[in-house]
Amino acid sequence: MAVLKKDVMVNLAEKAVSQALKKGASEAEAYVYEGQATNIGIELGQISKTNRIIDRGLGIRVVTEKAMGFAYTNVIDDPIAVDSVISKALSAAKASKPDPDWKGLPGSKPYASLEKTFDYKIAELESEELVKVAAIMLDAAGQVDKRVFPIEGGIGCAYISNAVANSNGISGFDKGTVVECSIAAVAKEGNSVTPVCFEFNASRSYEVDPVWVGKEAAKLAVSALKTKSVETKSTTLILTQFALQDLFAYTLVNAVRADSVQRNQSAFKGKIGEKVASEKLTVCDDGLFAGGLRTWAFDGEGVPHQKTTVIEKGVLRSFLYDNYSAKIEGKESTGNAGRAGYLSTPSIDTTNFHILPGNKTADEMLSEIDDGLIVYYLQGAHSSNPVSGEFSVVATPAWKIKKGEITHCSRGVMLAGNIFEVLKNVSLVGSNERQMGQLISPWVQVENVRVIGK
Amino acid sequence: MKDLLTKINNIATQKFGAQYSEARAQKIDKTMLTIKEERVEAAKQGIESGVALRVLVNGGWGFASVGSLDAAILESAISDACRMAKMASSHLKTPIKLAEAKVVTDCVRSKPRKNPAEIQMEDKIKTAMTVNKAGLGYDKRIKSFTMDYMDLMGTSYFVNSDGSSIEQDKLYVWSRISGSALNEGVFTFSREELGSTAGYEVFDEQTPEDLGEKVAKRAIEQLGAKSLKGGTFPVVLGPNVVGVFVHEAFGHLAEADLALSGGVLAGNLGKKIGSDLVTFYDDGTIEGSFGAFKYDDEGVQTQKTLLIKDGVVAGLMHNRETAQKFNAKPTGNARAEDFRVEPIIRMRCTYMEPRDCSFEELMENVKQGFYFKSFRGGQANLDGTFQVGIQEGYEIVNGEVGAPVRDASISGNTLETLNKVDGVGKDFLLDPGRCGKGQIAFVCDGGPHISIKEVVVGGSA
Repeated sequence: MAVLKKDVMVNLAEKAVSQALKKGASEAEAYVYEGQATNIGIELGQISKTNRIIDRGLGIRVVTEKAMGFAYTNVIDDPIAVDSVISKALSAAKASKPDPDWKGLPGSKPYASLEKTFDYKIAELESEELVKVAAIMLDAAGQVDKRVFPIEGGIGCAYISNAVANSNGISGFDKGTVVECSIAAVAKEGNSVTPVCFEFNASRSYEVDPVWVGKEAAKLAVSALKTKSVETKSTTLILTQFALQDLFAYTLVNAVRADSVQRNQSAFKGKIGEKVASEKLTVCDDGLFAGGLRTWAFDGEGVPHQKTTVIEKGVLRSFLYDNYSAKIEGKESTGNAGRAGYLSTPSIDTTNFHILPGNKTADEMLSEIDDGLIVYYLQGAHSSNPVSGEFSVVATPAWKIKKGEITHCSRGVMLAGNIFEVLKNVSLVGSNERQMGQLISPWVQVENVRVIGK
Repeated sequence: MKDLLTKINNIATQKFGAQYSEARAQKIDKTMLTIKEERVEAAKQGIESGVALRVLVNGGWGFASVGSLDAAILESAISDACRMAKMASSHLKTPIKLAEAKVVTDCVRSKPRKNPAEIQMEDKIKTAMTVNKAGLGYDKRIKSFTMDYMDLMGTSYFVNSDGSSIEQDKLYVWSRISGSALNEGVFTFSREELGSTAGYEVFDEQTPEDLGEKVAKRAIEQLGAKSLKGGTFPVVLGPNVVGVFVHEAFGHLAEADLALSGGVLAGNLGKKIGSDLVTFYDDGTIEGSFGAFKYDDEGVQTQKTLLIKDGVVAGLMHNRETAQKFNAKPTGNARAEDFRVEPIIRMRCTYMEPRDCSFEELMENVKQGFYFKSFRGGQANLDGTFQVGIQEGYEIVNGEVGAPVRDASISGNTLETLNKVDGVGKDFLLDPGRCGKGQIAFVCDGGPHISIKEVVVGGSA
């Protein structure tokens, strides 16, 4: 199905806003979304699944008497359905309660022009090509070792576009592409099976290396076959991007959201300008990062994306704001209103959460550790305490580092601690930066983390 | 609707030679609320409709989803799905086949005592406000309180090329309540979920005041809790934690797709892997429970599936594809979150069967260890490692419940741990939850109190 053109999307959004005002809204905002995705799926060691998903919709926020109503629909080609969704938003607002802190929707600001977020090659990819790439990835994994079994994975490409308009003059359109290929593999020997080992490539332009993905996932799985236990003690950890992404998403990200701070749910409240982390650590939220997986011209409210320094050499500099939380403090939004397509109202989220790299390569980091663990995947990070930052998770698996060498894998190792202590105990940040969902980060070395072996 | 979907399936079978084709159309209405403290963040309403098309061509799957019921768009989508399936099938080593399923014609209507659609938005807001006020008013140290509410009502139309045709209502009422407390630099967090397929009457089971207080009370009690020193300990688990343990540690491994992926259960069918006390079911028939439905998204009737009986692995949860591979019958576990995604094997209501121990007897089994009463999150891995986070736990000293402990978790290997279950209570409780496996499924899990000889307990002290 052909994608919706810019003017069609923008017109739909602008028209919905003006109709809502006509029907009695004091303010209105419309968000139009389109996503078209094609996936070739690997399951149980073979390419056996394909899918094509087209999802479009309109979400509209209206304000009457400082009370907010929201409605959405995925039927956007029918003016009657659009009209009825506007009425639904208005009736929801009327049923709702006024919010004395409501200070209006954001106003219009210019958008930056972006690099490397749309690649026509992805938009025009034929599924034959995708099947070929999946087959290459699968073969690469299989060639590493007979004991490797790729259980899941594949390649998918997507075209996404969105338009936003509001009654304060915002009118924006942006489109982008993304391609991702991945393999999840286990290795099996006798009755023993390893934890699931995962690798992937994801990019806004058509740059993937299926051979690398297949080989790396397979190599990790094989290296997890032979395991030895580790002792219970406090130790040095290298957290890879997989572990960091999981851990931060359920702890640190909550602490830097302005709404968490305002609602007394963040240990960072009142600590702007104070040292909250090791001076090795600088963290920016960068919604304009070239080629970033979360790089867009504007956020879910039409506010321009920007680069916000959150932690600078260990010192807390800023929280992340959407329009509502910013106005409560008399500030400007940092462009961090996230949105689940047309289905939800905006809520604060990271864009590209960037841990700035240091100088040491991965090999140098490993070679300088006398005794420690390197952790790839975590199990149970979502069970962390989102407010206190305490976590108690399993490394699935961890690899032991002894005298600068990875010696063996260990399963069922538990890690427990508090994210705010972890931040202070960062001793080294690597140079091996990569993107993973909302995170852009190198490996991070942390001292003195409690490890519970068997 | 039936005629349109039949026509689309016919295109797949007649024009593209598909062995199997199914069309699942859905119309869904949602109402959602988020109340933070005493502020309604937004009152929300949504309308969705669309069709999921799934075909099997030359043993390969093709799937297409469109947010439209337009015949021309559906014809183009089914053609895409068939072409892509054919292309992918060129690399198949083992073509996919489906187990036989009964051909069904049925119409299933939901009959809520309190229909959420007939309750005014104002009343839903009032209920949510009452919860939050009760929570905030419980203690000055409660600093934030959030209530999310959702009801979903809709109809699914399922037609497949075998001749089945099912029209089935969907009704879900769900709510999550969370609160945080702060005192002298110590933060705590507590949450509860409600969920039902019966109707809005779920709010009659516990009053909004009780709900708010329950969440607030836990957050306050946790203020005085200490971090524990990790290690291997005997434990008593409450029904809420047992449910998640059954779901994470065993349930996922008993999903036949994960068993085929190398999970530890595939080779253990019919074998004794756990203590005599261990009997688990996955049951889609408990009326009104959050995991209940009549037909799954392959048109197979749901059932009560025995997974493990007295420690012996009795069965797996199947869709039509895995049932064929295991030479078993489909169990009605193929579920899709909505028309945007394919059905995959999901749990329904997964629980442990109660036995005869009293709470005191279980505590006696432990003497010195921990009592874990309420969970926060859990996760499984194919190698049989499970993890369950704990939001409410206590020390056990001399067989008595002692001081509260904070933010712990338990972990272990499923097969080892099932052998270490040494006491199963006579009480029974089910809790609703949401399970993530790429898609979200509404489920229930539970059981009695149990005691386990040893698990690894993670704590940071």
